[in-house]
Amino acid sequence: MRKLIYTATVAVSAFVLIQSCSKSGSGNNPGNGGGNSTGFDRKGMLNNMSNNVIIPAYTAYQTATTNLDAAITAFTTAPDAAKLTAAQAALKTAYLQWQSTSEFEFGPAGDANLSSGVDTYPTNVGQINTNISSNTYNPDLLANLSAKGLPAIDYLLFGIGADNNTILTQYTTDAAAANRKTLLGKLSAELKANAAKILTAWNGTYKSTFLNATGTDVGSSAGQMVNQLVYDYEFLKNDEIGIPAGTQSMGTVFPEKVQAYYSKISLQLLLAHLQGVLDVYTGKDGLGFDDYVASTTAKYTDGTPLNDAILKQFATAKAKLQTLTDPLSDNIKTNPTAVTAAYAELQKLTVMLKTDMPSALGILITFGDTDGD
Amino acid sequence: MFISVKEKFTAQQHIAPLAVLRMAFGSIMLVSVIRFLLKGWVYAFYIKPRLHFTFYGFSWVKPLGGAGMYTVFALLIITAIMVTIGLFYHAAITGFFLCFTYVELIDKTTYLNHYYFISVMAFLMIWVPANRYYSADVWRKPGLRVITVPAWCINIFKLQLILVYFFAGISKLNHDWLIAAMPLRIWLPANSQLPIIGGLLTQTWVAYAFSWFGAIFDLFIGFLLCYSSTRKPAYFLVVLFHLFTAWFFKIGMFPYIMIFVTIVFFSEQTHLRIISYLKKLIPAKSEQELDKVYILSSVKSGLIYTLLIIHFTIQLLLPFRYLLYPGKLYWTEEGYRFSWRVMLMEKGGTAFFHVKDPATGRKTEIINSQYLTQFQETQMSTQPDMILQFAHMLAQDYQKRGIRNPIVTAESYVTLNGSGTRLYIDSTVNLATQEETFGHKKWILPFHDKAQ
Repeated sequence: MRKLIYTATVAVSAFVLIQSCSKSGSGNNPGNGGGNSTGFDRKGMLNNMSNNVIIPAYTAYQTATTNLDAAITAFTTAPDAAKLTAAQAALKTAYLQWQSTSEFEFGPAGDANLSSGVDTYPTNVGQINTNISSNTYNPDLLANLSAKGLPAIDYLLFGIGADNNTILTQYTTDAAAANRKTLLGKLSAELKANAAKILTAWNGTYKSTFLNATGTDVGSSAGQMVNQLVYDYEFLKNDEIGIPAGTQSMGTVFPEKVQAYYSKISLQLLLAHLQGVLDVYTGKDGLGFDDYVASTTAKYTDGTPLNDAILKQFATAKAKLQTLTDPLSDNIKTNPTAVTAAYAELQKLTVMLKTDMPSALGILITFGDTDGD
Repeated sequence: MFISVKEKFTAQQHIAPLAVLRMAFGSIMLVSVIRFLLKGWVYAFYIKPRLHFTFYGFSWVKPLGGAGMYTVFALLIITAIMVTIGLFYHAAITGFFLCFTYVELIDKTTYLNHYYFISVMAFLMIWVPANRYYSADVWRKPGLRVITVPAWCINIFKLQLILVYFFAGISKLNHDWLIAAMPLRIWLPANSQLPIIGGLLTQTWVAYAFSWFGAIFDLFIGFLLCYSSTRKPAYFLVVLFHLFTAWFFKIGMFPYIMIFVTIVFFSEQTHLRIISYLKKLIPAKSEQELDKVYILSSVKSGLIYTLLIIHFTIQLLLPFRYLLYPGKLYWTEEGYRFSWRVMLMEKGGTAFFHVKDPATGRKTEIINSQYLTQFQETQMSTQPDMILQFAHMLAQDYQKRGIRNPIVTAESYVTLNGSGTRLYIDSTVNLATQEETFGHKKWILPFHDKAQ
């Protein structure tokens, strides 16, 4: 017992001694110090994220898919040009909203593999036609993963005819019109049901799970948000521009591999997605990763505060993307220099989001679970 | 002085500490291996990856496929149990050492100092008669039982532990750790959600306190454990220190392994008490404490002494090999592994690889995840030897696809202890034609801290 007291005394005095040493030596200045003096309010950030970013995104997406399903039901009940246009508009709205919803593939969305069901493209036209001719659709079939969701509806509403008149005939006079209407209805109903499921989970018990995982490890909410944000951002960079533009295929372009190939809103979607990623980074008007990064002394390579550099890079990448035009599938062929330039800026942002930010916050970028030492 | 060294080597000492060490090591290994299996890591690290990053000179080490890898882990479990109870001990510990080391050699992605430590400990345990007391072997063959062993049988483990702590301490004596309090200044605030002390962890002075305490602890704890007068408080600090690190950081079994194996520093009386406590749970055949001595033939002992001298010479020199390389050690990581450098860096990177067809001049960017697991990619992007290995894997793949002499370049951005990301590898160098050697890799760009 005496030894225990002795040990404790030694430990405490060593602690105090070191403390006084460091205070004189480090020039610790609150507001400027490495670890800020009060600590960043991670829980406050999670609160803002769930209330002002994530749940509003799922709510808007749920509304958009409900409207899409209603428009498609109206269209398939009595197809006409006006209802086709309405359904097409509803698809674009849902697709645009999805771009600021795909960032949260953890928790309920992660469990349900929401993203792959919603936005796997290029869509498999052959599989869609098989489903139409056989008049069967099994949502659980793996082959149907690339024959469902927004890309499949994009094809069915925009891609099955040269213009809206031709498309309309596919739903009226065509031999397979009835089956086609059935499939379209099933696809939009599936989207709507999945969106509702995730929103319900967030409005239910998951929100408190999210708010209470306040750490920074892999299972924590901040850890999951960063990891999924990076994952989703790499999808943006690779799948929405890189692969179609041929960056990963020795320069051979694949225009048909752009997102929303048939409705030709790829660039619009790309910009919406970048804005969606930015909104997650900033937490919109409330506490976000921007405030979190700014609460540290982290600097970018050029010596500017890291948060400033990241925000600047978002703006640069956006400006470069804005020099492109829709349809992106044509632009990547006609304007490769501008596409490459935009891609290069997106690439720089990748490094900042994937390495600079997590490193400054002590958040591990890994999708697995491993030990360190 | 010489006599006392000789004393520490050959004097007869009670075997109890060795028997306890055997049980402590075996049981904690059993827990570690089962934990590894339950986490699904056998699949994630050794079955799922298509490619593996072998150590230089060990490219012949290959994973065995699903059934094979699970067999190896089954063997690890069986041998760990056998070591713990001391059944066919020498075969068991040799098997454990070989299986464990084999697994570690498959892929340097999973390299951890504490895995290296386990291999080293298991290796040392092959040469000592840890099964000659309170073991299944003695129960099987009572004639094996001995009461005393030469002191070296126990002291080699103490020496090894002293080296581990001491080198860990030396490696902390640098600007980043002591003056900048990095990386704890980043890591501690990341734990601010912890109850009671969470608020403290965001304070800069706490990062300094922990850094300095950690360095002083590592430098002196091994020696403090040696002397009976300081041993108890020192062990108390060992437990405290390792439990704290277990609480803060994701370091798996390491803290518990150290808490278990440092028991070896205690006196024979303490170990006899531990054994007599264990005997209440699992009784041994009651025998008289006859003064039976463990004696090795001079050939055998000569062989073992030679092995031990070689081993400890390597142990003493290996951590200093980094001095042979130019540049900042944390940045180049040349001579970084196998040196007890534990938890010293917050390092992260993003690496883009490009493959160019020299015939057409056309270039492609690689999606790393098509070749590597997330874990492999993360580790690879900050370690030059792995970057080179990956470049060679890519060259091989594109060669197979019909591109002659593909040019592989790496554009890697790395951050170290809070520095901004900067270009890591000369992105103009064709890595496909660069060979791995023990020499300095000239294509690692120097670390200049412009921000400071």
